[in-house]
Amino acid sequence: MSSTTQSGLARARRGVAPAGSGAAPGKRKSKLTAQATRTFFWLLLPSVVLLVLIHGYPLIYAAVQATHDGNLLQTGNFVGGQNFATVLTSPAFWKAAQFTLWFTIVGVFGSWLVGLGLALLLRTKIPGGGTFKVLLLLPWVVPIVVSSTAWNWLVATPDSLIPSLFRNLGMGTPLFLADPTLASITVMVFKVWVSFPFMMMMISAALASVDTTVYEAASMDGATRWQQFTQITLPLIARSTYISWILMTIFCVNDFPTIYLLTGGGPVNATTSLVVLAYRTVFQDFATGPGVAIAFLMTMTLVVISVILYRQIRKSSVE
Amino acid sequence: MSAVLHAHPESGPSLGVDAGKRRRALSEAGQRGRWWRFAAILIITGIVLVPIMVTVLLAFTPGANSTATGLTLENLNNVFSKTLAATWLKNSLVTTLSTVVVSVAVAAPAGYVLSRGRSKAVSGYSLLLFVMQSLPIITSVVPLFILFAGMGLVDNLLGLTIIYVGSTMTVATWMMAAYFDSIPTSLEEASWIDGCSVFGSFTRVVLRNSLPGVLSTAIFAFLLAWNDYLVAIVFLRSNEIFTLPMGVQSFFQQNATDWTSVMALAVVMMLPPVIVFATLNKYFSVGGIGGSLAGR
Repeated sequence: MSSTTQSGLARARRGVAPAGSGAAPGKRKSKLTAQATRTFFWLLLPSVVLLVLIHGYPLIYAAVQATHDGNLLQTGNFVGGQNFATVLTSPAFWKAAQFTLWFTIVGVFGSWLVGLGLALLLRTKIPGGGTFKVLLLLPWVVPIVVSSTAWNWLVATPDSLIPSLFRNLGMGTPLFLADPTLASITVMVFKVWVSFPFMMMMISAALASVDTTVYEAASMDGATRWQQFTQITLPLIARSTYISWILMTIFCVNDFPTIYLLTGGGPVNATTSLVVLAYRTVFQDFATGPGVAIAFLMTMTLVVISVILYRQIRKSSVE
Repeated sequence: MSAVLHAHPESGPSLGVDAGKRRRALSEAGQRGRWWRFAAILIITGIVLVPIMVTVLLAFTPGANSTATGLTLENLNNVFSKTLAATWLKNSLVTTLSTVVVSVAVAAPAGYVLSRGRSKAVSGYSLLLFVMQSLPIITSVVPLFILFAGMGLVDNLLGLTIIYVGSTMTVATWMMAAYFDSIPTSLEEASWIDGCSVFGSFTRVVLRNSLPGVLSTAIFAFLLAWNDYLVAIVFLRSNEIFTLPMGVQSFFQQNATDWTSVMALAVVMMLPPVIVFATLNKYFSVGGIGGSLAGR
């Protein structure tokens, strides 16, 4: 033991490596590996501490809260699966789950289609194309608090700009935020409006790496525009499309401000997603147990989904 | 034309001539198409930006009780003199900038390990980061609220910053890792031979060559922290601790009819991210976020 320390110190004096490693002198590679392992440990440590504090600990505590009848101040008594039973038998939960599903489907594919269309259009030669590309990113860059305020001004009351426009065109006065169906559609359109630039950037980046001579060759061979699109473009952007769908699904399921700031989850809970429901259950109804149970159910579902998707992504990147 | 399109390569020398004609015809059509596409994108961009244009326009339009005509800075003046806008702006800037600095400082070393480490533990950690970032923040918010309440970190900008760092760190770490992947290891190996430690070569060789990656990550953290609403609404209680999202929202709820002032405050809030994006946009690629997922 003392000899190890001595040789370590000796090496440290020579300035080759810090003391303490048990590697035999002269084996530069393994010394470096040992040093690298130690350094990696210290480099990773702050990240691990934060992950445990901000993600790990709350997750475990959430599991505790979901099985207790406490509130925001104390943990309360253990009630087993009662909160989960309450949540799973409540119609509000299933309604919110259904809305979350639709919101996610429309959010992901709506923004993908708009983003794809614009990315394809912007790939062609257009005067001022670069400027348009930057301008079209604005909905994504502008804070939701700001854009939801603007959307409110545009659609909230019967006298707002867009309802007035409809009225003047003789199409009645649609109540965009007061009618349950229309409000759901409005929130989804708002989500697409916020998210399409992200899709556009992802697809543009993927398209940029496609060699355009492929298309010339294809049109020489008599491929129609549609065939070129389905046979060349789509397969080439398939990977990044897949990744963007995954990310957008996560963004949509976890979304809070887009919905909450535009409609507050109303009218009559028509636009209440699971996150909004969890938030209101905890912070407005002060039912911490059931609220955390909702969040916990979402969390478990997302853990399973994201582990599967992560494996899929890794598998496809090996190919 | 269509005969040419369907012609086989073996149809002989005529192909070359026809192809030449065809290219000329195509380029004329291309010129016309260019302007059609320009018109299309102009109209689309115009429609898409209506909410933003409305915000800016209203912010500089004289309010209901105003005597000013044309465009005016009155609303901005009012907002800053009659509300805590200056405090909210300061709070937002302090929180966001601290988040950016700490987030990069945590994510860069961790990203380096993810990029260079090849052990099971490292790839396990990478999976863990992916899972954690996909979880709804609402799950951790309630337990953190209770934890932070005991430590006096509720209604406190430091508490807010800690959560922002935690929630930006996951994606930031991948973004850094993806950038480090693009830096050849031969650079570090050379510095090791020169007697540089692993840590030294990370800071002096790798990090020094990673400015675009650092900036991209910083912009990401900036946007996330600046735009957050959910954490702010849970953790902030008092008016003078509000960040801009809370300030704008509370002002909007109290003065829903005073649109010009609301929009003036909205412009104050949207300006910093727009400026950051306008100046640094060449460093930022969402493709980078996706790529960091794909490449790992």
